[in-house]
Amino acid sequence: MIHTLSPRVVAVLLLPFAALLVVFFLLPLGLVAWNSLYDQGWTLKGYEQVATSGLIHRVLLNTIEISALATFTSLVLGYAIALHLAAKPPARRAPYLAMVMLPFWTSILVKSFAFTVVLGDAGIVNQLLGWVTGGSWHLEMMFNRFGVVVGMTNYLLPFMVLPIMASLLNQNRNLYLAAEIMGAGPMRIFLRITLPLSLPGVYAGVLMCMTLSMGMYITPALLGGRRDMMLANLVDFYTRQTLDWNVASAIAIVLLAMSGVLLWILARVQSDRAGTMA
Amino acid sequence: MMSYSMSRNASAQRLWSGIATAIAWIGYLFLVLPSLVIIPISFGGDDELRFPPRRLSLSLFDQFFSEPSWWQAAIKSLVVASATTVLALAVGLPGAYALARSRFRGRRLVELLSIAPMLVPIIVLGLGMYMHLAAMSLVDSLGGVVLAHAVVVLPFMMVSIGSGLRHVDPALEMVATLMGASPLRVFWEVVLPQIKPSVMVGVLFAFLISFDEVVVSYFITGPASTTLPVKMYSAIRWEVSPVLAAVSTLLTLFSLAVCLVIMRLQPPQPRAD
Repeated sequence: MIHTLSPRVVAVLLLPFAALLVVFFLLPLGLVAWNSLYDQGWTLKGYEQVATSGLIHRVLLNTIEISALATFTSLVLGYAIALHLAAKPPARRAPYLAMVMLPFWTSILVKSFAFTVVLGDAGIVNQLLGWVTGGSWHLEMMFNRFGVVVGMTNYLLPFMVLPIMASLLNQNRNLYLAAEIMGAGPMRIFLRITLPLSLPGVYAGVLMCMTLSMGMYITPALLGGRRDMMLANLVDFYTRQTLDWNVASAIAIVLLAMSGVLLWILARVQSDRAGTMA
Repeated sequence: MMSYSMSRNASAQRLWSGIATAIAWIGYLFLVLPSLVIIPISFGGDDELRFPPRRLSLSLFDQFFSEPSWWQAAIKSLVVASATTVLALAVGLPGAYALARSRFRGRRLVELLSIAPMLVPIIVLGLGMYMHLAAMSLVDSLGGVVLAHAVVVLPFMMVSIGSGLRHVDPALEMVATLMGASPLRVFWEVVLPQIKPSVMVGVLFAFLISFDEVVVSYFITGPASTTLPVKMYSAIRWEVSPVLAAVSTLLTLFSLAVCLVIMRLQPPQPRAD
């Protein structure tokens, strides 16, 4: 028998929560939608701009490209980390897990600043390179795509590691034993058992990282160059520089719709998995 | 024949697991080194950031604490984060309890709403909040920042408390209610003691996220309400002042402490359910 509260108590308890979210979450989102369609009268001008402007197209392409690249590098590093973590006995996992969680808790500004110090023109990597090669080598690693992808991968990694680790830990150890007894090599075991069984975690991680990176603002602004502008930076540009709330809102709605689609797929993947496990 | 293939198998296994471990270690180092390398640099005290530092000095920390635009921003962030945490707790704790102990039509929708601010791209929320606060002339006020941050951190509060409530046996509340305790007393004396660790996790989450929040803040703050992250953002963007190394060190140590406390309170055993 489940203890439930009376409807009146529930209503009272939920009231402040609902008030805060309606007034300071739904209303602001509604304002964005409204402004994307209204500029001294109803208009589709904002969306027309999104559909026709060369600048916006380029930025949209950048956003997808950078997000895909960062998600891919996160997947490669994240999968290896997840394998490493899952192979450790729980008691010895904590320090490694802490290395994954610390960046998750570190301010993105600290991480961005750290990368300017490490990757910059006079940064640590270039100092080291200069010292090793006698000053003949120098790499441009900031204010370009490389810098953005490095910074974003660093931000995304925990979101990739955790779901993959969860699905690796869920696998039945007896499967490995059986496969090994029947003579399967490690590569074969990995390809036929580990990898397929970890795919739900991989999908979840990839979709999560894609969603997060599409909306990134700080990393492209601080580590990217002019040509690495992403949609979020464009929203800021139209709001602050050209003061065109109409176009800014239209871009924001497009961004919202794109992450909505990704999250919808994520929810589908999750519920499929729940379905097959039940 | 058999032993040959076995040994080949074993050495292939060693090779592959060696490669995987090497990539994992590259990943670990990539995750922690950049933030950690700032710590020795911040004690270098030079106007030029250098690694390894030539000498040890606290002059960058000195600069941070003697420059009003820096420490005032830090104070504002502390005030905002504290107020945000209190507001989010006051709204989230009853909300999470009501959701966990009720069945009504549309409950799933309310649940979705409670985590929605976490799913919406933060820039969209920033833009909306800016236009909304502008209409109420609340731009560049700490109150506006607190309200915006409360929305941003609320999902984390709700999820932490909600997961704590799932591990509480409702039968205890049933018994207490049958014995005549009022709902308030049941919550205060039966439920709350059991979910304390999850509430603490929610509080830490809320405080740290608000303290570090920059995108929404950048939209809605002005000279009178510049928080530390906004100040850092413009400092990295326009000047790359060496004081940043000291600020980063302080923030990294702060994050490390919070991270360790949370891992103690809530051993992260991610499950797939």
